[in-house]
Amino acid sequence: MYIYDKYDQTIARERVTEFTQQVKRRLAGELSEDQFRPLRLMNGLYLQLHAYMLRVAIPYGTLSAKQLRKLADIAEKYDRGYGHFTTRQNIQYNWIKLDQVPELLAELATVEMHANQTSGNCIRNVTADQFAGVAGDEVEDPRIVSEIIRQWSTFHPEFSFLPRKFKFAVTGAPKDRAAIQYHDIGIHIVKNEAGEIGYAVYVGGGMGRTPVVAPLINAFVPKAELLSYLEACLRVYNRYGRRDNIFKARIKILVRDLGPGEYKRQVEEEWQRIRGTGIDIPPEEEARIRSFFKPPQYETIAEPVHSFVEAQAKNRSFARWVETNVHPHKVPGYGAVTISLKPIGGIPGDASTDQMRAIADLAEKYSLSELRVTHVQNLVLPNVRQADLHAVWQRLREIGFAEANIGLVTDIIACPGLDYCSLANARSIPVSQRISERFADLDKQHHIGPLQIKISGCINACGHHHAGHIGILGVDKAGQEFYQLTLGGAGDETASIGQLLGPGFSSDDVVGAIEKVIDTYLGLREKPSETFIEAYRRVGPVPFKESLYGGH
Amino acid sequence: MAQAKPINKILTGNRLRTGDTVYYTAAGAWSAYVSEAKVVTTPEGVEELDKAGKAAYAANQIVDINIIDVLPGDGAKPSHIREIIRATGPTVRMDLNKPVTPAGR
Repeated sequence: MYIYDKYDQTIARERVTEFTQQVKRRLAGELSEDQFRPLRLMNGLYLQLHAYMLRVAIPYGTLSAKQLRKLADIAEKYDRGYGHFTTRQNIQYNWIKLDQVPELLAELATVEMHANQTSGNCIRNVTADQFAGVAGDEVEDPRIVSEIIRQWSTFHPEFSFLPRKFKFAVTGAPKDRAAIQYHDIGIHIVKNEAGEIGYAVYVGGGMGRTPVVAPLINAFVPKAELLSYLEACLRVYNRYGRRDNIFKARIKILVRDLGPGEYKRQVEEEWQRIRGTGIDIPPEEEARIRSFFKPPQYETIAEPVHSFVEAQAKNRSFARWVETNVHPHKVPGYGAVTISLKPIGGIPGDASTDQMRAIADLAEKYSLSELRVTHVQNLVLPNVRQADLHAVWQRLREIGFAEANIGLVTDIIACPGLDYCSLANARSIPVSQRISERFADLDKQHHIGPLQIKISGCINACGHHHAGHIGILGVDKAGQEFYQLTLGGAGDETASIGQLLGPGFSSDDVVGAIEKVIDTYLGLREKPSETFIEAYRRVGPVPFKESLYGGH
Repeated sequence: MAQAKPINKILTGNRLRTGDTVYYTAAGAWSAYVSEAKVVTTPEGVEELDKAGKAAYAANQIVDINIIDVLPGDGAKPSHIREIIRATGPTVRMDLNKPVTPAGR
């Protein structure tokens, strides 16, 4: 993991001091709410329906056991005993008191964490593949370039007042687990024919009211020149992105309006101007950052690991959990465990103080003290010996996080929705809970196969509904919660935007409608291995519309 | 002649210091309980709430101030789902919800 140097430490410490003073002045009435609001947002502090909400950054979703333990302490001391892991691989606390925020941030800084740039029109937390460094299919660990981008974008003076927020995602593998084409800039680490590493750069993707799958703007940016290229991408946006209309201010609108070709031309022109002027990272600094991500000391373990094979043969529940929740590791004898924060009927992404502490213990004991947060709102123990998987599973069962449902119908993304969020039009969590309960039977879930349901409580799409195989969008219809369904979205390397099926469903009817969609799929799939998204792409929306609306 | 739409409104906001959801009462204080909110039924009453809200905002006590609709009849019962949830808490964590009325009343 990256460890703060004196610059990082100074930045974190000075920001706490600065915000402490600002809070003090606000409480003393020396700053008005209008003056204070942008300052608190720069520190990740929102005012929601019931209280302040604090969003803490977890850079590219990587956490140490020590940091998770601190996040648990904060939940206990300053919140109501739980936190919510988000689709940006961050954590949010829902019950924060303004006068306690300075103390909270000072505590966070003791474990090299903060809430900077988790809100506002700046470059937000960089997200990455949760299996970074352990996936067998990756070209390079995406955390290296993510950390470089984090440092470059931290308090970048030119990009701290962009037309709108700006989100990066990075994958080092051809299998995209980071939804890169749904980001303002998505970076795919690639190798060219000469075997050199570089970056395919996608620009102008996004969710929200105008969903766009980002076009490829440059198929190969040389490794040494990424930052100057990104600087050129941002500079064109900062110069021409719209500031007159908040709904048209994201870079996706600029790229769309200019056309990807013209945007690319302008970026190239800017890049030629600034290339070689000292923006790019010196090789020795790149090497320094890289050194933090060198693989840990793995043991040499021969496969098959007999105890692991036997445990699966003896225990069907364990075998099923291995099937869905353990990802192959690049090192023989190891596995990467996805801890499902989606117990049946639970709140997606929520973890209590006790659960966080138990998971931190597991990371310490079994995963070289490291953890990841996934954009699907789960946690990962990336480095577990296969011989330890059974013990990990047993402990997860004790804390209620051993559901064998990763990638299945109950592994649902849900935004906080109207239960917490002041922007929401409808609740998301209760809908996800009812779907989860309806499909609780694990045999049924496995029979249905891979299926991603994603729920947003408003058009801002924090719940990624556009990228859901089945997307659910909550709307307010004359004061009542209604839910529109979209089908055919995907956030992986085959990214596509879900298409609206028809009129929305009431809260009472929406779960039945989802079941009808799934039954329709089960009835028309050509074989059990044809997944929902494959079947949808083959047949289109018509059979689903017919079953839901009777063909009208 | 078209009849004027009936008015049933209360004033709400969040405490600056804690973020707690609160309601303006007949006594001119701010209560955590929606049942204690002062309900107004006239345009003059709405104007009074507006003034009280602006004063509390200017005094740096209450933020995110809104005048919201309640159902006609006894007690202040918010009509919109958003405000019902604000008054009691997240519907998915009933263990954390607060009553609409203080305990013992």
